[in-house]
Amino acid sequence: MSKLPSNSDTDYAVVYPSSSPGVLGWLDLWIGRVEAFMLGAGVLLMATNTVANVVGRFVFQHSLFFTEEVNRILIVLITFAGLSYAARHGRHIRMSALYDALPQSWRKVLMIIMCLVTALVMSALAYFSTRYILSIAGSGRVLPALQVPVYWIYIWVPIGLGVTAIQYAMTAWQNLLSDDIYLSTDVKEAHADTVEEASL
Amino acid sequence: DTWRYAFEESLTDVQGEYAKEFKAYIEENSDHSLQLFPYGTLGESADIMEQAQAGILQFVDQSPGFTGALIPEAQVFFIPYLLPENHDELVSFFRNSKAINEDFVDVYAEKGLELLSMFPEGEVVITTKEPFETPDDLNGVKVRVMTNPLLVESYKAFGATPTPLPWGEVYGGLQTNIIQGQENPMFWVESAKMFEVTDVITFTGHNNFTTAVMANKPFFDGLSDDDQALIRDGMKAAFDHIVEYQRGLGERSLEKIKEQKPEIQVNRLTQAQRQPFRDAAQEVEAKFIEMTGERGQAILDQFKADLKAVQQ
Amino acid sequence: MMAWMLGAMIVLLLLGFPMMIPLIVGAMIGFVFMFGGLDQMNFMIQQFMAGIRPASLIAVPMFILAADIMTRGQSADRLIAMVMSFIGHLKGGLAISTATACTLFGAVSGSTQATVVAVGSSLRPKMLKAGYKDNFVLALIVNASDIAFLIPPSIGMIIYGVVSNTSISELFIAGIGPGLLILVMFAAYSVFYAIRHKVPTEPKSSVKERLLAIKQAVWPLGFPVIIVGGIYGGVFSPTEAAAACVLYAVILEFVVFRSFPLASLFAIAKSTGLTTAVVFILVAAGAAFSWIISFAQIPQTLIASLGLADASPIMLMIAICVSFFIGCMFVDPIVVILILVPIFAPLVEAAGIDPVLVGVLITLQVAIGSATPPFGCDIFTAIAIFRRPYWEVIKGTPPFIVMLLVVAGLLIAFPSIALFLRDLAFAD
Ligand code: NA
Ligand code: NA
Repeated sequence: MSKLPSNSDTDYAVVYPSSSPGVLGWLDLWIGRVEAFMLGAGVLLMATNTVANVVGRFVFQHSLFFTEEVNRILIVLITFAGLSYAARHGRHIRMSALYDALPQSWRKVLMIIMCLVTALVMSALAYFSTRYILSIAGSGRVLPALQVPVYWIYIWVPIGLGVTAIQYAMTAWQNLLSDDIYLSTDVKEAHADTVEEASL
Repeated sequence: DTWRYAFEESLTDVQGEYAKEFKAYIEENSDHSLQLFPYGTLGESADIMEQAQAGILQFVDQSPGFTGALIPEAQVFFIPYLLPENHDELVSFFRNSKAINEDFVDVYAEKGLELLSMFPEGEVVITTKEPFETPDDLNGVKVRVMTNPLLVESYKAFGATPTPLPWGEVYGGLQTNIIQGQENPMFWVESAKMFEVTDVITFTGHNNFTTAVMANKPFFDGLSDDDQALIRDGMKAAFDHIVEYQRGLGERSLEKIKEQKPEIQVNRLTQAQRQPFRDAAQEVEAKFIEMTGERGQAILDQFKADLKAVQQ
Repeated sequence: MMAWMLGAMIVLLLLGFPMMIPLIVGAMIGFVFMFGGLDQMNFMIQQFMAGIRPASLIAVPMFILAADIMTRGQSADRLIAMVMSFIGHLKGGLAISTATACTLFGAVSGSTQATVVAVGSSLRPKMLKAGYKDNFVLALIVNASDIAFLIPPSIGMIIYGVVSNTSISELFIAGIGPGLLILVMFAAYSVFYAIRHKVPTEPKSSVKERLLAIKQAVWPLGFPVIIVGGIYGGVFSPTEAAAACVLYAVILEFVVFRSFPLASLFAIAKSTGLTTAVVFILVAAGAAFSWIISFAQIPQTLIASLGLADASPIMLMIAICVSFFIGCMFVDPIVVILILVPIFAPLVEAAGIDPVLVGVLITLQVAIGSATPPFGCDIFTAIAIFRRPYWEVIKGTPPFIVMLLVVAGLLIAFPSIALFLRDLAFAD
């Protein structure tokens, strides 16, 4: 785990401590840290990998044969680690014009339904992606340059989907327990804008 | 029933012609109908292959170049100077080869696929910005190849710097000089407008682009004898059509290119000039054996025996 | 089937569900109709992966990262200060510069999303400060970025050229006229907007101030050199140019300007990753949605029902425009081209319309459709990077859509807007 600079991006525990107490809270905190690490490391590795290929081509007259495949692995990692990270921070894109116009009590009910449906869809996808990976693993296909099995590219997919499902389920639960409306486990609706400022 | 057939080129390219002819035959001679899915409409090569293996597509046309990861032996088609350069010999080889019509059928069956037909799409030419006659001339020239390990080996052996790129990036890559050459059958040089961004077309005679049509095996095995026969006959009809369509296709494409770009330079390497490339092919053959082991060796031996039979 | 898919999508969208849910549920309904259940859902995952597979997509996070570093540091400010010293005193000058920068960057980088990020994140704060309203700024950035579809190199035109067997060089040249026409219209609208909303101008800079601004911007001027020179000069592919920009940005901000400690690079990378993920999950879900529509042959059925077999050329071109416009509202443009072009190609040939003109028209519709809700990668990118609500990002769009549709109409009426340059270049 790398040390994050304190003056920078908002972090799970910094602004809004995870609200679920005890072992679960601890687990949640660490899942959040792993997501954040994967996300940042994924982007930095992608940059390093692509730069190295350019340098290799100009300085050593040789492209790196694995650059494209490594980037393919990283883009999946970034997308699916980012999926749950964005869910945690309430950053997924939505069209909220109509929703915002509703009275508070309606919004709360709608938010709970929304979180439950999203959690359900995400867990279904987590299940299907596991099945897909198993079917690919069975076919024995390998990446031509790296010679690693193709399904390795996809390992983060069910994890990201599964964690996202849990995130939304927990948000639904939080909305049931509390008087406020939670956009995600870490972000209250009214605070959405404050968080934006804080993280810039 | 409605059957689905996906392929890797657009409707007006060779694979599209083949598919249209097969569709016409099936729909004329039965109550079944066939939906065609050209390149990209259901995903890339590997995607449509998975869809065919799962049986949601009944037919798929996939070239051995892309099948390499799934069926390594299929890369035998990338060993340079293996296939005959003469059209009639080539056709006769595809019709009669035991390697194609028996051995490969078993290999594909292991992957849940019924191999129905293999056919040539046309002589592969290399288009570049500068002319070349020897492997030395290709030194430092970046030639785009499909993402296939054996093809990469071939171009290394030819003296060039092979650069695997997805085809969507080839035109732009040539235009901006990130690559300086590419290889493809003549019709593709014309239809994908490769001639607009390269200046020399070189006939090296090193290969003829091959492709394969297969069906999902459980689907095929579950059909009545009549339907199986219908499909086999449809494949034969499409093969006959494509053999005729192929005759002179390269020349027709070349004519079209010359009309649009009269200054294009066309080089046909002589047998003597081809010799160093032919010699380099030995390395590629060794690499093929290294990659595929005994099974590859067996297929290659049968392949050579079939070729001998045709060329006598 | 289509009615159920669209109905569910629109309801979920309006209720404020995360945008991936309407797309995924819409696709799921399609799977149920096509396969009688969810047994084949593996292929939704396959298409998720296919959606984020193209190697050219790598340029997006790379340009986001470079832009993130530049805007948090000093490079972007210095570049803008230089431009402002020349055009700050002109009415609408900043808006015109923004539109031009989007067009140029998009044309060269080949990625409209990267353009939204790179140009938008540096110029939007400046425009807001100068007094432009946010919904105008956002709509301008998104729509001007999409002009890049028409200016070479354009991946949409390459795909159209291959599928329809049309000269790609001719398409490239034919796209320039309409592309510039759109830019001019956007510029005129910007001036009109600036006057009507009384956007204040800055005092005219002296020669000395301008020279100082240029001096300040010498290092950051390396970015346009890397991007324009690198790509057109054949040194880099767009993805590599993006990576080179990242390297250059790191060197400038962390070594030359020392804007912040190297340790903060990780936080910037994380924010880049978040922006990328939020957009790419929609690209992935969009690919699955497109796939099931393609598999069910819905476009073929719809277009067959139009009965275009003996339509006049004008009618046919209008039908093409409408089909592509609607298609690109919901589906990724490349897929729309791959599916629809083969359907229309025989009709176009029979009607004797120049395929180059059709290609330009289609590319224009692709540009319009990409900026048109609900599905639009550039809209998503703008939402993710600027953190503005969906509604606010699209609110200012209508005037731009109208201008673009006017250009489409002009093209149909006066094909020489596109074909003039082509005929000049390819005259025998
Ligand atoms: Na462009
Ligand atoms: Na759209």
